[in-house]
Amino acid sequence: MLLPLLLRPSLCGSRASVLLPGCVRTLPGGAAARTLHCQTEDFLRRRLPARLVAQSRGRKWRSQQDEWRTRNKTVLTYIAAAGVGMIGLSYAAVPLYQLYCQASGLGGTAVAGHDTDQVATMTPVKERVIKVTFNADTHASMQWNFRPQQTEIFVVPGETALAFYRAKNPTDKPIIGISTYNVVPFDAGQYFNKIQCFCFEEQRLNPHEEVDMPVFFYIDPEFDEDPRMARVETITLSYTFFEAKEGQKLPLPGYSYN
Amino acid sequence: MSTAMNFGSKSFKPRAPDKGSFPLDHFGECKAFKDTFMKCLRDNHFDNSKCRLQSKDYLECRMDHQLMAKEPLEKLGFRDLMDPPPSQADKDSKP
Repeated sequence: MLLPLLLRPSLCGSRASVLLPGCVRTLPGGAAARTLHCQTEDFLRRRLPARLVAQSRGRKWRSQQDEWRTRNKTVLTYIAAAGVGMIGLSYAAVPLYQLYCQASGLGGTAVAGHDTDQVATMTPVKERVIKVTFNADTHASMQWNFRPQQTEIFVVPGETALAFYRAKNPTDKPIIGISTYNVVPFDAGQYFNKIQCFCFEEQRLNPHEEVDMPVFFYIDPEFDEDPRMARVETITLSYTFFEAKEGQKLPLPGYSYN
Repeated sequence: MSTAMNFGSKSFKPRAPDKGSFPLDHFGECKAFKDTFMKCLRDNHFDNSKCRLQSKDYLECRMDHQLMAKEPLEKLGFRDLMDPPPSQADKDSKP
């Protein structure tokens, strides 16, 4: 019993490895436990040296390492290129998306090629009757009475139409109003062209004054040819008036102020 | 229709009117023409095609009273309502 005990420690001791102190240091407890521990350590240790020896032997190993290194480098280069490509794509996406939106008319963006000469040359599409309803709103603090003079009007694309709103200033002091408009459905808004109206500029009403405000508009004849507009029969034009502070100007879309 | 595709911030982008803004008719100089036009609309069930003559008259009144920039009527889409110089009979014809 004591013999194996004597032998084990010596074997453990012959290798000056990190495992040795662990081996010797293990519990002073049962001798059987210690020998088992040493045995497993030794077993593992015996494995290790064989591999180390083979590793250090070699051109084969080194060339494999080099191969791995070049392969890693290529992969890293590809990944870096893909990353840079993604960043570049995200920058390029902005003008590309704008082009796409203009071409397809998505999101109500103005269709390119809309000019005033079209009004003179367009022909009405008599078969397609559209109902245009009118809505008038004021901001909560705006004291004008603002309402449309007709609830609806039936127009055809390609024909100019006139509509009226009425605004009254019931207060005792002049109020300056400025308005903006909205067209629903949004997609039809790109075909709704206003030749002249009363929006985006300050309109001043004296105390107890009432005026008629006309809107002169037409619906683009291409409306009839757009498949997305095939089911649209009602367009709603909605104006909202806000009170303008002195000298304030709403930025006019598409115009540049000087 | 417009709710089918939701690209997040789909919204309406207002566009400026082609010829700008109408000056306000503070003195009601063209009110008579406007009343004629509204009456025509009410009589014709709000059909714009039937009241184009009255709308042309209203715009001409505005132009006469400096309430609108003078434009040839063709540019305002009234090509069909203009009287050709030789014959007056075509004035009321509409396509």
